[in-house]
Amino acid sequence: MIIILGVSHKTAPLDVRERIAAATDDPDRILTRLSSTPGIGEVIWLSTCNRVEIVASVKDDAADQVYYFLREELARQAGYSDGEELSQYLYDKRGTDAIHHLFRVASSLDSIILGEPQILGQLKKACDSAARLNTIHGQLGTCLQRAFAVAKRVRSETSIGLGTVSVSSAGVDLARRIFGDLSSCVVLLLGAGEMAESAARSLGHGARALRICNRSMGRATGLAAELHATAVPWEQLEAELVEADIVVASTASPIPVVTREMVRRAGRARRGRTLFFIDIAVPRNVEPAVHGLDNVYVYNVDDLQIEVSRGLRARQGEVEAAERIVQGELDSYVAWTRSLEVQPTIVALRAKVRSILSSELERTLTGRLQHLGSSERAALATMLDSAANKLLHEPSMRLKARAAEHGDAQRLAAAVQLLFDLSPPLLHGETQAEPAELSENTAERPMVSRVR
Amino acid sequence: MSLEPKDLLFIAAAIAYLGASVLFTIYLLGGPAKTGRWAPPLVAAAAVLHAAHVVWSSLASHVCPVQGVHFTLSLAAMLSALTYSLVRWRWRIDAVGAFVAPIALTFLLASRWASGETREIHPLRSALLPWHVAANLGGVALFTLASAAAVAYVIEERLLKEKKLEGVFQRLPPLDALDRAGHRFLALGFPLLSFGILSGSLWAHEVEAGGLSAVVRAVLGYVSWGLIGAVLLLRSAAGWRGRRAAYGTMLGFSVIVLVLILYVFHGAHTSTVAIVP
Repeated sequence: MIIILGVSHKTAPLDVRERIAAATDDPDRILTRLSSTPGIGEVIWLSTCNRVEIVASVKDDAADQVYYFLREELARQAGYSDGEELSQYLYDKRGTDAIHHLFRVASSLDSIILGEPQILGQLKKACDSAARLNTIHGQLGTCLQRAFAVAKRVRSETSIGLGTVSVSSAGVDLARRIFGDLSSCVVLLLGAGEMAESAARSLGHGARALRICNRSMGRATGLAAELHATAVPWEQLEAELVEADIVVASTASPIPVVTREMVRRAGRARRGRTLFFIDIAVPRNVEPAVHGLDNVYVYNVDDLQIEVSRGLRARQGEVEAAERIVQGELDSYVAWTRSLEVQPTIVALRAKVRSILSSELERTLTGRLQHLGSSERAALATMLDSAANKLLHEPSMRLKARAAEHGDAQRLAAAVQLLFDLSPPLLHGETQAEPAELSENTAERPMVSRVR
Repeated sequence: MSLEPKDLLFIAAAIAYLGASVLFTIYLLGGPAKTGRWAPPLVAAAAVLHAAHVVWSSLASHVCPVQGVHFTLSLAAMLSALTYSLVRWRWRIDAVGAFVAPIALTFLLASRWASGETREIHPLRSALLPWHVAANLGGVALFTLASAAAVAYVIEERLLKEKKLEGVFQRLPPLDALDRAGHRFLALGFPLLSFGILSGSLWAHEVEAGGLSAVVRAVLGYVSWGLIGAVLLLRSAAGWRGRRAAYGTMLGFSVIVLVLILYVFHGAHTSTVAIVP
């Protein structure tokens, strides 16, 4: 069974999430220790700014015990007196619920910003770390791979990842729609506050140059050093307007700092080059009349907010389709795992039938039919092989289908074991790779090879 | 009635242009993204079919492609579609195909009306004439593309000014890419047009013999050359970029289209192929 224990933006305030994330800054060490805990078969550790989750595969009868252990462990790491204190922020998902949650998280349906792509990368990174430390290898590994496939389907078959969902990204998107490639653009920041910094981080990466113009030169210099930009004195604002392609305005000025006349004068020297203002200041920093000038475009917070709302609405409209994909994939995955539960019994049944037929064949070939040549013996063995396969094919398929459909694999397996006097096969969860190995190497070995 | 291979190629090219135009229209109106992915290759396929049609027709009628107004029109359309297909990815102007495909289709169909006999070429002019015509049709092809980029620019710029960022705006190429592409097409086409004008001037004294239509054609040819030259000059000298350059380009191309219309409806029965003078 897969269990998930964690906190997210939906269950815990930021300070709790910070406390847990900070206390668990060495995931490798934690993973190694958790994986050696009795009852835990596989485990991964997912830590992002919005969630911290432990995903583990455990034996069914050990789920409660593992849950309490993980809760205490998490509480101890985060400095809480005991797990009870932390439990109000924790969620506990098990079995199908846990798989559903994992699929939704990977598909970014559980994120603060619906459809954001980072979570999939973070989950893949967590999976890679676990694989490197060999803490995933079977059921959980398969489930994670399926979660990645589900996320890929959701992204490709819905528009949940499209559209703009923040003011600064709306500004960047619009800049790209105007200039295409930003690598030839000069970005000028007016103001050096938090908003400017946020916009600069979105825009500055791909730009040819980033300049920061602020009334306080000291602050501009500090931010410029942080962002590998150039600080310019406030007095040079008009001269900078000649060079800039994109201007992000976010000063606290109560009156516009960029006037129509100023831009018109700069326009002469600009020789008609396009100039795009992203005015995210309130009150506005750029006179609205600037938008009326040729090849100059001014977009303020309200204009960009419309884009953000549109983007969010569009994403929200895709949730239903995305949830349908997730549910469909979950049903198919659960059916597949259920069908696997009867696989050891099927293998044992086939092995028993083959063993009986093989010993009967040997007895006959050493008795009444001992005069047969090798080709006749081989033909007889092949015939019995084929008959056994045909006879067992239908019951095997029906067992798998019934188990997948109704989820009563254990009852069915027990009935088959009782009817055919089979010794109980390996329990589900101990290994899932073995049935295939069994069938290929031993139980399914053709009788023809044994009679030769 | 049995169709000849050249007719089949003509029909196939026309259907491909039409298909591309329809796909582009669906894409621009907010249809599935895949329509926008399929349309540009369909323009390329149409251009190839179109080229095959021109070559086949030329071989079948034993006429050099540049020695008949019907071939010239057809070639100009084909060249513009082919050039678009070659540069669209690098210059990021995929959606310009939405304007190129219908124009190419119109030229292709118009070439049917223009098809007719070709006049025997004067021995003194025969050496220069194919070069004159080739330069003109290259110029026309490039101005077609410049004009397509200009139309897309004007639409997108208007939407940006009006802050209507939904629908078509999202599907058009970046504004600056359109401006740059338009300028490049003009800059490449202008020397060709200039050569066409200069070479055409060599026998301009014979224009009067062609009647009023030929005179109007010649005058309009000079006007279009002047307009496009002015657009390029003002761009480099006075920073006329963006909307102004786009309107100038569209105006210049409109005059060229007028010249072509005169050829199609009034010049085919007597003329060879001098698009401009």
